[in-house]
Amino acid sequence: MIKVRDLRKVFRVHQKEPGLAASVRSLFHRKWVEKDAVTGSTFDVKEGEIVGLIGANGAGKTTLVKMLSGIIHPTSGEAEVLGYVPWERDNDFRRQIALVMGQKAQMWWDLPGGDCFELLREIYQIPRDQYQQSLKKLTEMLGIGDELKVQIRRLSLGERMKMELIAALLHSPRVVYLDEPTIGLDITTQRAVRDFLLDYRRENAPAMILTSHYMEDIERLCERIIIIREGDIVYDGSLERVMREYAPYKQLRLHVHRTAQPQPELELLEKMGQVIECEPGSICLRVDRDKIPEVAAELLRKYSVIDLSIEDPEIGDTIERIMAGRTADSE
Amino acid sequence: MSLSLFFHIVDLETKKLMSYRVDFWITMVVNLVVNLVILWALWTAIFAESGSEIIGGWDLPGILSYGVMVFLTGRIVRGGDLQMTVATDIYEGALSRFLLYPRHYAFTKYAQQVGNVVPDLFQSVLMGLVALPLLGLSTTTPITPLTVAMSIPTILVAHLLFFLMGLIPQYIAFWADNVWSLSVMVRFVTMLLGGAMLPLSLFPDSVQQILHWLPFAYLFEFPTLVILGKVDFSQWLTGIGTCLLWCLALGVLSIPVWRRGDLRYTGVGI
Repeated sequence: MIKVRDLRKVFRVHQKEPGLAASVRSLFHRKWVEKDAVTGSTFDVKEGEIVGLIGANGAGKTTLVKMLSGIIHPTSGEAEVLGYVPWERDNDFRRQIALVMGQKAQMWWDLPGGDCFELLREIYQIPRDQYQQSLKKLTEMLGIGDELKVQIRRLSLGERMKMELIAALLHSPRVVYLDEPTIGLDITTQRAVRDFLLDYRRENAPAMILTSHYMEDIERLCERIIIIREGDIVYDGSLERVMREYAPYKQLRLHVHRTAQPQPELELLEKMGQVIECEPGSICLRVDRDKIPEVAAELLRKYSVIDLSIEDPEIGDTIERIMAGRTADSE
Repeated sequence: MSLSLFFHIVDLETKKLMSYRVDFWITMVVNLVVNLVILWALWTAIFAESGSEIIGGWDLPGILSYGVMVFLTGRIVRGGDLQMTVATDIYEGALSRFLLYPRHYAFTKYAQQVGNVVPDLFQSVLMGLVALPLLGLSTTTPITPLTVAMSIPTILVAHLLFFLMGLIPQYIAFWADNVWSLSVMVRFVTMLLGGAMLPLSLFPDSVQQILHWLPFAYLFEFPTLVILGKVDFSQWLTGIGTCLLWCLALGVLSIPVWRRGDLRYTGVGI
């Protein structure tokens, strides 16, 4: 449904030194620099797939989304969404896509949601019956009804985001871009939005690209992630694989009887894995995934263990390391 | 763009503006009072100083009627002063939303502009009913139901022309980001050369000759002269035709400017 080949975007940015003199100078001469926002991205997204686009601020996620939704033109490269070139903005293409921008309200601020949706019905030429069915279903799924009569500007942030979601999905798009849809929302609303998106996916099977800084969004919604660093795709694959490849270890934590073993033997522990903590009564080791059974058995044999736990490293930490260009080995 | 969508946008814009009741009435009263006072003070002083009863073909009640009518028609032609919204959409990235819709941006904006006219139209009629009886009868400006009816199409095409004249300078925001000063300048020039400040018949003949070939006069002066009965039928037809030709020319010219500008759009703010 989405095919991206070597897509690249370079922005020309005006650079100005601080201070009054520099401001005056910039009236006559400006220094321009080229900034690579996206440097040759290539990937595909299938029908019904939710792909998480992850990266630090300024990594190029939103630029990529803007190109794929047809808002901006690329510097070079190719993309096809539903068989269309997005930035040519064919009306048939635009009738089949939606973009939800968590940081930018898209609805008419001074109008109630009901009026905005009626306008969208006209814009997308949705047949009246289909519109009423979709609206009923979406409002029920998101648990809003009376708010349809309230001016958008008078709604809470969570209610506004729910309205934005309805506005984006009323015309049953086949491709949905979600740019930080849960930003600033409380935990309950975040959860409601995630559940809603999963339900929507189950019923409509659109291709979705989601950008978010919240790991919970990614973990709940995406089987596959694309990690972008400085405009470059550095990882494209399953969430599971990212852990296998970039965090090939687990953390093994033990609580032992102090009386039986006042001080663990450090040298012995270092042979088993990387020692994180070694205190009387408490041991924490970072151990290669494939050595876990062997090391655990050895520790159980050696010490009088009260409790033993084996933990996966935080996925957020792992992704953060990839985004920062570090690996587990380099640390 | 379908007509039903066009009128839906008009309807929404109208509802939006009418929802701010205090703003609606204050705008109307303040505008009317300030303009009437300025017009009366300025032209009574000029007529008193010159000592003549007719200046440039206008008597005092006539020129005051012109001043009031050009102010009222001007409000409708300008359509709620939306002339900076396109530039603001580009500058703030609000254009992104419109680019996602399967409708052309300029058509959507024009529908919004028409929607903004409705409150102005309503206010202008009310203000006209209050102001015109105060000005006295003029021998030089015979307003009749026919002249009022003839003015309606001239105002409609003037409204479209004003929108299109504002569009290209606003598209400059694709290159220059902030075009506020350019818009103010364009606005001042169109007001002056369009006859919104004083009748163009008071300009030197050579300037009038040049202005005859430019679009400005069809914005404010022409519809006003039609209402005031100073335009005969053939001049009326020629005026509307010329205005439409300018609309066509500016509309065609705006297309390549939009296309070039669109390539530079960065969609800031998201």
